Amino acid sequence: MFLEKLLSPGKKEQVVIEGLKKHMKLLCSAIEVFQKALTENNKALMDDVKQSERDGDVIRREVISKIYEGAFLPYLRPNLCKLTEIIDNVFDLLKDAAYLYQTLRPVSTIQYQIDQIASLNLQMCQMLLMSFEALMGGGDLREKALAIRIYEKKIDDIKFDLLADLRSIPIDDFWEGKILSDFVSRLTSVSDVIEDASDYLQVINVSLR
Amino acid sequence: MPLYLFPLIGCIFIAFVIGSNDTSNAFGICIGCGMIKFKKALCLFGPFVLVGMLLQGDKVMKTVGNDLLNVNISILGISLAVSALLIAVSNLKTLPVSSHQVIVGSLTGSGIASGVEVNMLSAAKIAVSWVVSPLGALLFAVLIFKVMEKTLSRLPVFHVEMVLRILLVLTGILISYTTGANELATVLGGAVYSGLLSPVHASVGGAFLVFLGAFFLSSRVIETVGKGITTLDPYSGFAAQFGGAACVLVFTSLGMPVSTTYCIIGGVFGVGMLKGMETVRLDLIRKMALSWVLTPFLAFALCFGITIVLMK
Repeated sequence: MFLEKLLSPGKKEQVVIEGLKKHMKLLCSAIEVFQKALTENNKALMDDVKQSERDGDVIRREVISKIYEGAFLPYLRPNLCKLTEIIDNVFDLLKDAAYLYQTLRPVSTIQYQIDQIASLNLQMCQMLLMSFEALMGGGDLREKALAIRIYEKKIDDIKFDLLADLRSIPIDDFWEGKILSDFVSRLTSVSDVIEDASDYLQVINVSLR
Repeated sequence: MPLYLFPLIGCIFIAFVIGSNDTSNAFGICIGCGMIKFKKALCLFGPFVLVGMLLQGDKVMKTVGNDLLNVNISILGISLAVSALLIAVSNLKTLPVSSHQVIVGSLTGSGIASGVEVNMLSAAKIAVSWVVSPLGALLFAVLIFKVMEKTLSRLPVFHVEMVLRILLVLTGILISYTTGANELATVLGGAVYSGLLSPVHASVGGAFLVFLGAFFLSSRVIETVGKGITTLDPYSGFAAQFGGAACVLVFTSLGMPVSTTYCIIGGVFGVGMLKGMETVRLDLIRKMALSWVLTPFLAFALCFGITIVLMK
């Protein structure tokens, strides 16, 4: 009991840990909403994704300000800041993809691959959250990191097929093509950045050993 | 000018300098990390210097003021004036010198020149402890690092962080304690055994002067040391610092005046060896080793010469 109290993080540290967890949970729910919007072809639902990005910004600012107030030892601080920045990057990609989707004409030939990528993104994000929880509890991160890399590989494979299929889609004007290309690019980049976040969790895990 | 003023001024100056320089040994990392504020660190540093001086200071004071030689006011006056001068010059030139070596070298030089019998066995013991203490700190640091690898490393990272925070503050307190029990005792040993000050006056007054030195002058040193050290990982930093502090505590119990700074350097070297020799700045170590060898001889020669001149 005494040891547990002694080892429990301080107030500032608690805020940072809770903030990071909240940030990741929010990301999971944003990706879930994004996936739902795609499968239901519900463009209005994408507004919720954009709102999640704004909420994520608030959490990121709170986490970083607590770190600057002196939460954690300096050796951990840059890595924790970097982690929340990386998660924020995922939000940015998701928000861009949501915006682009709202202006996009539906393309049925690539819908299946897009749904698949969105679903894998969600699984990756959930695995990232599990990794973070394992980090806090002293669990093994290696298996989760490996799972994330496998998901990322699957998305890469789908992406190459998707890029090949994109070339056969008839385009009426430049902007239509650009928006479609940008949308695919943002959607397929989400997994790369989630993988970066997973790598950073590993860095944090070994940084004090 | 009364003769007793020279050693008194020397004591006051050196105690003040210990406060300004050595607070960083104790709490440089903690303040640099933002774990505790400067004022809080001072509130821990000052009282623990006094506690160290009161509980264990007598052993080192006896070695320096009585066992090494029978100190009298004139020997003390010359030695502490020269010591103060050497420490001031080294501070201005940012050269690393150990106050222990300066004081012991000065007392021995002045004592021999005055014709007072110097206990060579005691002098040899002190010299051996100067050689053994950094090596002991090295071994302690290596041992602590290995134990931490087997125990602390198995905890979740945020728990490791929390434990390190607590351990760093405890190490700061331990170093404050040894600063009183060893560093300050070395400065005041002669003053107490020559009858210039009573042990209680020396302890309370000395600790107060160390506190004043820390209060007025240590913040900039802490800032430099804190920022410099915290770029290293706190894990090895703790092993080195605690290894050094534990070693000083052992030597304090034996009544040997040894340098906390040199012991911590020994600890850093030990941890560096474990992590690979390329992480150790050998040029800095060479500079330290040179100063470590030359300082007592320089203090000895200066005091010997000045005493001979003054006696003529």
